[in-house]
Amino acid sequence: MNPPRTYTRGMQRWWLRRPSYQFYLLREGTSVVIALYGVFLLMGMAALAVGPGAFEAWRAVLFSPLSWLLHLVVLAAFTFHAWTWFKVLPLTVPPFKTRRFPRGFSDATLNRMALWAWGVVSLVILVAALRGLQ
Amino acid sequence: MTQTRTIIIECLRFHPETDEAPYYQSYEVPFTAEMSVLEGLQYIKDHLDGTLTFRWSCRMAICGSCGCMVNNEPVLSCQTFLRDYHPSRIRVEPLAHFPILRDLTIDQTDFLAKLESVHPYLIPSADDDPGDQPRNQTPDQIQDYLGYAQCINCLLCYAACPQYGLNEAFTGPAALALLHRYNADSRDAGKAQRMDVINAEEGVWGCTLVGECSEVCPKHVDPARAINQNKIVSTQDYFLRFLKPRGRR
Ligand code: SF4
Ligand code: FES
Repeated sequence: MNPPRTYTRGMQRWWLRRPSYQFYLLREGTSVVIALYGVFLLMGMAALAVGPGAFEAWRAVLFSPLSWLLHLVVLAAFTFHAWTWFKVLPLTVPPFKTRRFPRGFSDATLNRMALWAWGVVSLVILVAALRGLQ
Repeated sequence: MTQTRTIIIECLRFHPETDEAPYYQSYEVPFTAEMSVLEGLQYIKDHLDGTLTFRWSCRMAICGSCGCMVNNEPVLSCQTFLRDYHPSRIRVEPLAHFPILRDLTIDQTDFLAKLESVHPYLIPSADDDPGDQPRNQTPDQIQDYLGYAQCINCLLCYAACPQYGLNEAFTGPAALALLHRYNADSRDAGKAQRMDVINAEEGVWGCTLVGECSEVCPKHVDPARAINQNKIVSTQDYFLRFLKPRGRR
């Protein structure tokens, strides 16, 4: 017997089909911003290796008004990315069972722990960086 | 509340022998407050158009055969109610991402092959045969897999997963959740046999955590969690392979 003829619909503009798909693309899209920022920091390191002139030029770009504006955008993208990342984090960790929590921690607890850790680490880095600037 | 109102149900129609492509057909259906979308479709079949084709069996959200898209949302039509859409019209389509066989029925061949590929049954170890004695489990051991054992193979999760729509090779949510269900069972010793499915590009790594499978699942199976926990398992397996003696896994 031949398999019956079927009709397959395509995936044209699939992201428009559910709002959550757009949210997902936004979430993934912000990782591009993060990658680009990584490249920018790498360029700074490369400039440092090239010489003081190159590094000063990179610093001039870094402190330009446009850069300040872009940094606000990047900060927003980073925050959104980290926020959503920690939101799905509990899905990725196998239940971590302890005597007091025989079924492991709840998603909300894991999420909160991760957010706190993120906050503390960010603060430490910020303080260290501010001291470095002085 | 036996008051009868009327709702327009728009169905995707496709007959493989006569239609080049699917089209929509609208029906005016009288309904009462307790009528499900499935009952609306049955009204059409019984009174308006006997050629409309769709699947159902239990009418109580347990057989998993009545899944379809209602206004672009994958649902069990037997537990979705017409009253929640009235006075707007509703659009009923076959589950997204699957080939249409006819009207609202889809071809599940691909899923069935994937289901088979995950060895969805207990594989006891040879030296741990209890004979005809029961194999006891603690309540805690049962909790490890019970949630994942609730799957009714309704395929709503596949219809919600854009990764499956974009790449049919992806093993997909329900099959991977069932894989995890058996791996998480204390009576099972078949992990090694399922490892290739987990590790494959089309296995857990085909998932990018869109997360919609868990949102639409009528049985709260949470396939997204099952899949993403196995990304860690797969990573461990990858690195442990370098440490373990050759030829053994
Ligand atoms: S995991 Fe949920 S949505 Fe997917 S087939 Fe099973 S019951 Fe249906
Ligand atoms: S008819 Fe069985 S799940 Fe809907």
